[in-house]
Amino acid sequence: MTLLVIATYPVVDGPVLEGPVTIEPDGGIAIGGTRVPSSQGTSAMLGAAAQVAAHLGTAPPHALVAGDIGRGDGTRHVYERLLDAVGRISPSVVAFHYMQPVMALMRKAVDGLAEAAPDTLLVADAGGMYAAKAAGLASRFELMTPDVGEVGFLADPAVTHPAYVSHYLFGNEGFDPVRLAASAHQTGGAARVLLIKGVRDHIALDGEIAEVVDEPCVPELEAIGGTGDTVAGLASAFLAAGFPTVDAARCACLANREAGRVMGATPAMHARDLVATLPGVLADNLCRWGGACVV
Amino acid sequence: MALFSRKDRKTVPGADEALGLFLFDAVNDALAAERALIAGGYDVSLVAPPPHLRAGCDLSVALPRVEHIGAERVLADAGVHVRDWIADAEGTAQVCDLVTTVDFGEWLMVRAGNMKIVVEKATGMIVNTSGGGCPDIPYLNLALVGKRIDEVPRPKELGYTLCGLMLDRAYVEVCSLLGGAEGGAA
Repeated sequence: MTLLVIATYPVVDGPVLEGPVTIEPDGGIAIGGTRVPSSQGTSAMLGAAAQVAAHLGTAPPHALVAGDIGRGDGTRHVYERLLDAVGRISPSVVAFHYMQPVMALMRKAVDGLAEAAPDTLLVADAGGMYAAKAAGLASRFELMTPDVGEVGFLADPAVTHPAYVSHYLFGNEGFDPVRLAASAHQTGGAARVLLIKGVRDHIALDGEIAEVVDEPCVPELEAIGGTGDTVAGLASAFLAAGFPTVDAARCACLANREAGRVMGATPAMHARDLVATLPGVLADNLCRWGGACVV
Repeated sequence: MALFSRKDRKTVPGADEALGLFLFDAVNDALAAERALIAGGYDVSLVAPPPHLRAGCDLSVALPRVEHIGAERVLADAGVHVRDWIADAEGTAQVCDLVTTVDFGEWLMVRAGNMKIVVEKATGMIVNTSGGGCPDIPYLNLALVGKRIDEVPRPKELGYTLCGLMLDRAYVEVCSLLGGAEGGAA
């Protein structure tokens, strides 16, 4: 019942950090007692996951991260240590997040996990998702959390990064998440469950839409950096707590949207504002949404 | 004027000429090569390498094959590390150039591909960046948010990945729309 998050944090030459995730009194995120910068990305994901664990009374998320500003050095460091951490922690869920999308490293990691921890559920978002799809490994994952600009990437078997996705797949005119989810599934570009984040959140199971979440509608959330990361953190934490995957995805969408409504989201707010709002949102709603008050 | 100067060359690469590719170990090497070659008068384009040459987050520079030697000398003089040259650009893909905007009243959001930037209209203050999944994106978020668009370096000067490149495109567009100068370090 433990979530292990493998990712990076935005500090040049930042050392490898591993340990439980805690939320400091001022809202900052600490890993094994060491603070990491608060920004969009993995700190937002970890904050949301930690709030779920605190609410449900489950183990806090465990993070394995290293400093990386896009050169790939920290990404390599955490991949090197992944199997060792898995051996010690025995996570039920491993989530890959902001990392340099290097296909070879992801192939080695997924193959290693299949041997060392075959029952562990794999989640991917951000660069972890890019690497998994580009390497042809998406179908080995339980959950991926693309936004409208990324689901076209999953559906296009020819590309290895969202920056090369064709216009017609890019979440604008004619955007059809139902078709894209099916296409991604058929071409091996999708996890078993996709949580497609957008104005309407679509949850696809084996390529077919299982749930649509569109209330409350808070358009400003798209403008706030890290609110997709908080969805990924929420879903990963619910999954690690034992929620069925589609339920975990639905509760994540609902919690994120409700937090945006409660905090009165504006485009100038930040993911940490949303994370700070989650305890009240979960306390007021989770029993109703997911049938789980505590685990 | 230097012998064999390229300064007055106007044609778009790929229109009629056979292309080759410079390959790089890192995206920021490709961006540095683009800058050096454009400064040297070459017309180049940033493209994805062919599928069999991709490692994940890749960017290559395409230009006419006949210009390979001179361009290689420019890159060597500029200190740009080139992994390889291939005299065949078949199978390359263009970087997405789709840019859209959302008006939030006080704020303007510009999307470029998978990246977004949000700026307060009255002040030019960058209030958010989002999207993407490469590790330089949280780093760029910390570097840009809370500063005005005319006082920050261009994202492609700070970033290292394709996500950083797409954020740069959003940044350039928002500067254009709000009438601000692009960053001082660009």
